[in-house]
Amino acid sequence: MTTFSVDLTNCDREPIHIPGKVQSHGFLIAVDKIDFLIAYISENTNLFVKTSAGNLLGKPLSTINAFLDQLAPEFNIEDLLRLGIIRKSFDAISPHPVIINKNQYYITIADSGNNFLLEFEPATLQYDLQSVIGRSASGMLQGKSVSSLLKGAAVEVKKLIDYDRVMIYKFLDEGHGEVVAEQMNEDLEPFFGLHYPASDIPKQARELYKLNLTRLIADVNKEDSPIITFLENKPLDLTNSGLRAVSPIHIQYLKNMGVCSSFSISLISHGELWGLIACHNYSPKFIDYKAREGAKLIGQILSSALEYRQDAEDSEMVDQFKDIATALTEQLNRDKYLIEAITGHKKTILDVTKATGAAILFENNLKTIGTVPADEDILELAEWLKQTNDESVYYTHRLSEIHSPARKYKRIASGILVCTISKELGEMIIWFKPELISTVTWAGNPDKPATPEENGLLSLSPRKSFEAWSEEVNNTSEKWLPEEIASVLRIREIIITDVNKKANEIRQLNEKLQSAYEELDTFSYTISHDLRTPLTSVKTYAELLLRNKSLDDSARKMLGRILTGADKMNFLIKEILNLARVGRSEITFETVNMQLLLNEVATEVWSAFKADKAELILGQMPDINGDKTMIAQVFTNLVSNAVKYSSTVEKPTIEISSYIDGKEIVYTVKDNGMGIDNRYYDRVFELFKRMDNVKEIEGTGVGLAIVKRVVERYNGRVWFESKLNVGSTFYVAFKNI
Amino acid sequence: MKTPDIFYVEDDIDYAFFMQSAVQEVKDTLNLTIVEDGTEAMVKLQQFAESKTKPKLILLDLNLPGLSGLDLLKFIRDIPYLKSIPVILFSTSDNPDDVKSSIEFGANAYLTKPDGYDNLVKCVHSVHDFWFNQHLRMN
Repeated sequence: MTTFSVDLTNCDREPIHIPGKVQSHGFLIAVDKIDFLIAYISENTNLFVKTSAGNLLGKPLSTINAFLDQLAPEFNIEDLLRLGIIRKSFDAISPHPVIINKNQYYITIADSGNNFLLEFEPATLQYDLQSVIGRSASGMLQGKSVSSLLKGAAVEVKKLIDYDRVMIYKFLDEGHGEVVAEQMNEDLEPFFGLHYPASDIPKQARELYKLNLTRLIADVNKEDSPIITFLENKPLDLTNSGLRAVSPIHIQYLKNMGVCSSFSISLISHGELWGLIACHNYSPKFIDYKAREGAKLIGQILSSALEYRQDAEDSEMVDQFKDIATALTEQLNRDKYLIEAITGHKKTILDVTKATGAAILFENNLKTIGTVPADEDILELAEWLKQTNDESVYYTHRLSEIHSPARKYKRIASGILVCTISKELGEMIIWFKPELISTVTWAGNPDKPATPEENGLLSLSPRKSFEAWSEEVNNTSEKWLPEEIASVLRIREIIITDVNKKANEIRQLNEKLQSAYEELDTFSYTISHDLRTPLTSVKTYAELLLRNKSLDDSARKMLGRILTGADKMNFLIKEILNLARVGRSEITFETVNMQLLLNEVATEVWSAFKADKAELILGQMPDINGDKTMIAQVFTNLVSNAVKYSSTVEKPTIEISSYIDGKEIVYTVKDNGMGIDNRYYDRVFELFKRMDNVKEIEGTGVGLAIVKRVVERYNGRVWFESKLNVGSTFYVAFKNI
Repeated sequence: MKTPDIFYVEDDIDYAFFMQSAVQEVKDTLNLTIVEDGTEAMVKLQQFAESKTKPKLILLDLNLPGLSGLDLLKFIRDIPYLKSIPVILFSTSDNPDDVKSSIEFGANAYLTKPDGYDNLVKCVHSVHDFWFNQHLRMN
């Protein structure tokens, strides 16, 4: 006999398929495959037949015939066995009903190495289950979703076997499990939603569940019956045995839970153990073979329904993701800005996965939706990702264990899924999933307590408390599903295509704009030029006419008006020509003596506007680099404006100065005039734009447009500060090269 | 054929009229010949060369339909008999590029068309004073 002592170090290697014992509600005989002699027999056989197990050991199988009440006169147990061997399967002949001492039994036959197992168990069910099972199956399958399907299965199984509690137990990652559906007597405490640690159902037990699709433990308090044999060191393999005794640890586990009978049905999906229908009864309860077979059938129906429904739900999720992708594509086509397109509508980038938050880093903007870490944390994370991540898509469900700064926001973001848009620019989208902490409620402390024995060794004792026991599963989020990753890859493709398309559009627009600008310059130049010739004629004829001495005063007055109009128009044309010339002429750089230039400009402006009462204050005037004519144009316009718009105050003061700011030389032209209403700030430099308060003062609205164009051609900047009725200061910054 | 004092090529008949008036106002004995386009000018210049008549001054409008003022200038400088005549380019344009290319092609001066009649009279006055008196001095 095998003796295997279980302790903490070997509990997952306990050879439970060779326990040397069977549950004592039935008895087991194993015969050698070659000579059909009884090689193993359970000790309790004498409780069922009128001889001791020891007497039968080594005898031919046919010996058993003597103890069977013959249903058919020609029945021979060896013939039954041979029939199975010929058919290469015992499925069709199991269970075979026999009567021993007027009691009904089933014989089931199974394979075990060099032996055949013949198991005898009581037949207790008095009616045919077939119609019940049919109804159960159709009742169960009415559920449309996976969860209603599971609930339905629990209800139907409970009806069929009438256990106190029926649970559907689902294996999750790393072997631990959760009760996902439950049907039980009303007086019981629900286990629904509880998690059980992986150690509750060790790995080799899970393997057996794949082979034995049902498993009955009729009474945990009933002593098991040892199997006796003459063979040394050849324990009988009970893998395929229905009577196989249960690991003492598992018995203890059930006892600790107060369970007297346990029955389980395996649920297999895609060849893997998906979960179990676990049934508990709080008093001993044997289930008839046929009821077990019925339950097994329900389990199989549920398994395939699960497979189908899960696939359907998965593909539903995929369809949803695809719908979102289509919607986002449309939004991207319609909207000008990417961030707006993927966050500003009903369907957003957040719906691309099952994440709870998302952050988009694009064109130096950070936009977030849903539950996300603080902006500075996201930026830090993005920087880290930019440095370390080369993949187009990167994901983890344990971020804080990889990147320690993420610890402080692990509750919001233990899982991240990152999709790179541009590695160089650090542009990316990050999805976040929270830590799973709050969702795990264990059935009791999941750590198996090891209690020291008298000999000092640790010994395993399955936990006794099954009160809900919450444990923090640290640093871990729900895993990213393959469907989510596929969805993100799909979205990435869409976004990158869109970004490229828009970049291309902008480039083309830029080229068009540039050529339009050039055309406009040429046009302005030509048209101004062509306008001047007829204008000169108008003016000259008017002057010629004025020489005519016979004209009366009113005619002279009108001719004077013609001349004034022509002069105004001529001035305007000249200004436009100047503006057009800024765009047409080559950029040249020479050192411009600003002291000289500004003095010339001032003299010219003062005499043009007869600004004798205006005071001029000149400050520092360092040389700058540029084209002398163009620079002169800039300052002529600025100084003219200063003089013009301060002409209404009593003591106009115009101050020209400069300062050096980093790589720029900034010139300032300051006046104490009427000022500019800040509402028009952006429009001041627009062509032909004149403010409301300057109607009285002559101007074309071209001057500041010229200033802006010239300054921008030199990669400089121009801006102003102003206050109504206090004055304006214009700033011109040139690159200090 | 009477030798003109000033040979003027101008397509703008208005401006031609102004010039006529201005020249007469400056000195009514001055003889002004005006043609309207480059081709006509070319024919006339050819005739001058053949008949050995030499205008004292040539004024060319820069922008002409067909042959431009610069083309005529080049033509004049290529004919030995005419090449010593002072040529002034006369244009509404004050574009430095136009000035530069005129001088490069051998113009003796570049004048921007004055704005208004009074200014034109002043301009013709100074042209006359400079070029004709100098001409007299040279003789």
